[in-house]
Amino acid sequence: MTAEIEIGNYLTSLRTHLGPIAVAEREEIVREIGAHIRDSAEQSGAGVPAILARLGSAEDLAAQYREGLLIRRASLSFSPLVLLRATLRLATKGVSGVIVFFWGLFGYAIGAGMVLTALMKPFLPANTGVWFSREGRMLDTGVMFPPPAPPAHEVLGWWYIPIMLILGSITLLVTTFAIQKFLGVSQRLVARLQS
Amino acid sequence: MAKPRAQSTEGDSPDRWEAQLRKGALEMAALASLWQGRLYGLEIIRFLENHSSLALAEGTIYPILNRLKVEGLLTSEWVEAEAGHPRKYYSLTEAGRQRLRLMAEAWISFSRGLSRLLEPVLEKQETSQ
Repeated sequence: MTAEIEIGNYLTSLRTHLGPIAVAEREEIVREIGAHIRDSAEQSGAGVPAILARLGSAEDLAAQYREGLLIRRASLSFSPLVLLRATLRLATKGVSGVIVFFWGLFGYAIGAGMVLTALMKPFLPANTGVWFSREGRMLDTGVMFPPPAPPAHEVLGWWYIPIMLILGSITLLVTTFAIQKFLGVSQRLVARLQS
Repeated sequence: MAKPRAQSTEGDSPDRWEAQLRKGALEMAALASLWQGRLYGLEIIRFLENHSSLALAEGTIYPILNRLKVEGLLTSEWVEAEAGHPRKYYSLTEAGRQRLRLMAEAWISFSRGLSRLLEPVLEKQETSQ
């Protein structure tokens, strides 16, 4: 195999593995690595296989670029899917990632549950609410089939809608900001995590 | 059967620890290599090889440069070279210079503190030899 074909194959593989990175940025990375390989060959006189071995596999190199980008973008994102995906990536590297991932999942589930049940209240008024026992102990919250029987009584009535919308929104926002904060801190650890 | 395995893990750990330490310092070293002026990727790698004991897998430096650029600590420009292909030169931004100063101060005070802590360890080694 000639040197040019070897370089071409490496760069094609790098481009493929860089996948989700925006085209302009991807091409710039490929161009820079191409320049590195050619400069190394000219300056050191080493063969292309030796230079490629020192660079590491195209797959590993692309993974280092992708990981940095995913976590950096996610730390600025508001999308639960992007945030949880980035956290899941960190979860494969350490226990703090696992904890944040499950806390995040829990936070989103609770927040979304509050908002959804608030939206269901107009359609299922008797089944949706917060029920307390006669002794003042909270029995159930949300949409219940059938609703708890007396002496349990529902306490919020139509207030359920604004209260749950506000509490649910706060829960979703706090979860989002907490994950962003965690990912922001983790950005500085990415180099360490890549090992 | 488990014992030899545990021993070999213990034997590997100083190397692994050293690799982690080098990697952790790499971001600061990459910024420091640009203190005197702009360099392209391969020059940064050669600079680090010649001026520090940071022997590194060459592929490691490029994703770090990319990240530092996105964080606004570096800028880059493509410059046509005599070699026949353009090279991507990196320079420190003002934010990069400030960050590097802070990192350098933190590093020096951290390593001084640790050196004091480690003095007895090395003294003991010298006397035992």
